[in-house]
Amino acid sequence: MSEGEEGPASEPLDLVRLCLNEEVYVKLRGDRELKGRLHAYDSHMNLVLSDVEETIYVVDDEENDEGDEKIRVEDDQEIKSVTKKSEMLFVRGDSVVLVSPIEKS
Amino acid sequence: MLFFSFFKTLIDNQVTVELKNDIQIRGTLKSVDQYLNIKLDNIEVVDDIKYPHLSSVKNVFIRGSVVRYVHLPHNAVDVTLLEDATRREAANQAAKAK
Amino acid sequence: MMENLTLNDPPPPGPQSGGPMPPVLGGRAPPLPPQPQQLPPQMFTTAAQLLDLTDKKLLICLRDGRKLTGILRSWDQFANLVLQSTVERIYATLPGAKESSALKGYYADKPHGIFLVRGENVLLLGEIDLDKDDESPLGFEQAELEKVEKLAKERKVVEKAKEKNKLKQLATLGFEGEASGEIFL
Repeated sequence: MSEGEEGPASEPLDLVRLCLNEEVYVKLRGDRELKGRLHAYDSHMNLVLSDVEETIYVVDDEENDEGDEKIRVEDDQEIKSVTKKSEMLFVRGDSVVLVSPIEKS
Repeated sequence: MLFFSFFKTLIDNQVTVELKNDIQIRGTLKSVDQYLNIKLDNIEVVDDIKYPHLSSVKNVFIRGSVVRYVHLPHNAVDVTLLEDATRREAANQAAKAK
Repeated sequence: MMENLTLNDPPPPGPQSGGPMPPVLGGRAPPLPPQPQQLPPQMFTTAAQLLDLTDKKLLICLRDGRKLTGILRSWDQFANLVLQSTVERIYATLPGAKESSALKGYYADKPHGIFLVRGENVLLLGEIDLDKDDESPLGFEQAELEKVEKLAKERKVVEKAKEKNKLKQLATLGFEGEASGEIFL
């Protein structure tokens, strides 16, 4: 097993450790995705991210006209996406589906 | 215990707790426990027209398991300290697993 | 006491707290001998959080969307609750009600008596401000129980169908609902 703090990525959460202070993509339950800079995690995959952009996917239905502000619509037949920003966000681990490093170009 | 300690450092800050049923409740963080149950004072429901039933409630105890996010003020978080604490916790966990 | 708390502090020595609590995990002591760990101070326990709410009139939101009010008489570390004079408040939103509508729906109260609620079904507990307790929630009017129950049932059927459609659509994007099969709110 890994020795000390910067050991090799030998278990799944070591990958997350290597993402600290990096941009990550997080997929969540409940039709949501996040992009942000990772600052903390634990073994439950609770996370803290900063400068987060959240994308929520919603199915369009006629009588649903809630909150037009700060909503950007990508026109697709039925599925819309809504984005929201958060400066600092704690994410509870039980919603997390996957964490992925964002490649720097 | 990392996040338990982390939330303890945020006591008395304004936070917004977003629940898995989409309700967002803003208030002053007053207490947290090991399960990350949260107590908020002087609450205000962000979309209070949609959720009328909290209109006469002044403080809430939120069960940790129903929380989706907690929105935090950026300036209340020292990210370097937090990253160090995370690495230390990870090392502790790894040592314990051996 | 709060100013002393940093992420590095070991839990301050505190009196063994009263409530039965699982052992604290993930301490920062070197992993040498497994020593008994100190419990966090009393104020950061579930027990302390619920103690403040005891014998008060509370609103309880359950996972299935029910809203109860009652007086909290007993609880434990799982947030299992015993409530006295429990009343369920049923809300029914009118179809097509908008945020701007003056009348958005009706509500009715259904008395139940004593309830023991299992902790995992609890979303949140709120202390009711007794000064505001008699006011109707904004945009909602009290109506007969039968009428409200009927309306609420109809709404639930509509919501369920909508939810089902949503899950089907989003499944094509590789998403899965948060709590499949359950309706919150």
